Amino acid sequence: MSTVKFLVVDDFSTMRRIVKNLLQELGYNDITEADDGNTALPLLQAGSFDVLITDWNMPGMPGIDLLKAVRADAKLAKLPVLMLTAEAKREQIVEAVQAGASGYVIKPFTAVTLKEKLDKMLAARAAA
Amino acid sequence: MSHPDPERFRAQVAALQGALDGGDAAGFRHAFEELCGQMDCGLLPELKRITATAQSALARFSAEARLDVLAGHEVPDARKRLTHVVKLTDEAAHRTMDLVDSCGPLVDEAARGATLLLEKWKSYGERDLAFAALWPEQAATFLQRTRTDSEALRANLTELLMAQGYQDITGQIIRSVIALVDELEQVLSKLVCIAEGNEVTSLQRALPTPQDWQRGLGPQVAGIANGDAMSGQDDIDALLSQMAADK
Repeated sequence: MSTVKFLVVDDFSTMRRIVKNLLQELGYNDITEADDGNTALPLLQAGSFDVLITDWNMPGMPGIDLLKAVRADAKLAKLPVLMLTAEAKREQIVEAVQAGASGYVIKPFTAVTLKEKLDKMLAARAAA
Repeated sequence: MSHPDPERFRAQVAALQGALDGGDAAGFRHAFEELCGQMDCGLLPELKRITATAQSALARFSAEARLDVLAGHEVPDARKRLTHVVKLTDEAAHRTMDLVDSCGPLVDEAARGATLLLEKWKSYGERDLAFAALWPEQAATFLQRTRTDSEALRANLTELLMAQGYQDITGQIIRSVIALVDELEQVLSKLVCIAEGNEVTSLQRALPTPQDWQRGLGPQVAGIANGDAMSGQDDIDALLSQMAADK
């Protein structure tokens, strides 16, 4: 369980730190950070990440484009991707799900919500 | 508009007619070009002037129309956004201080209990057995209490961490206001250019399209219409379940 490898992508270092702390509290200690899609994608392609948690609204490559790039990459196509974002338009959520998001958590969020969605994603991953 | 001289026109038309009647192809072409040149010199500068006026009017119109939207909607929206930032920072500061307040008694109680037990332990060392007999029970109470309080402390620490999420939300909102100020500056300097009669260079960057949600719109702000926005996690979860069911 504790060997699950996370990549946390957000342009705000405070939010990356919050997510990292929460993950550590949940017992996950293998966490890498990136500040937008452009820096995240090469890391994903080079490393063997188990879960991607990404913001949407970022300078450079936004999270939705990162999600599409991940799904378009045969090696990463099945990677669980959790969108963790303040974007709340209905069209955006539909777009994210259609692009293959495994979960969608709206900011501001609670530790309980994050844990619940992660557990669900990891259970689905284990069952697959 | 300056009209071409009718006498010159008449002579040029006659020359054209003469060349046509005489089968003089070179003469016809020459006369025709001369006639066209005569028309151009009157019409072209006028056309250029009209085009320039129209272009400048269009540029002015587009700048003014954009300024209208900025002044009418986006500046008031920016005011709401910044007010929302004040509210979020205020709430986060209070939440943080409330949590610090609630941690204080927990730590104080642990210190008080530990001091008490240390005194008892000392009396045990001094062979005051009447006191010492109470030690195991008091120690157990203390440990029990400390464990419960530590759990509460841990929960408070998590809450303190979460309270810092305001920085991301307010940061996104402030960035959107900075983008608005940038755009206002550009539109205003464009209008100044037009007013001074200088050639208007195109805006340095493309104006943002508020409808373009692909790049992200940032957090929802109360009082700003943002189309079909979800009210929270429950709303989103319901949409996700519905989409999963529809698949």
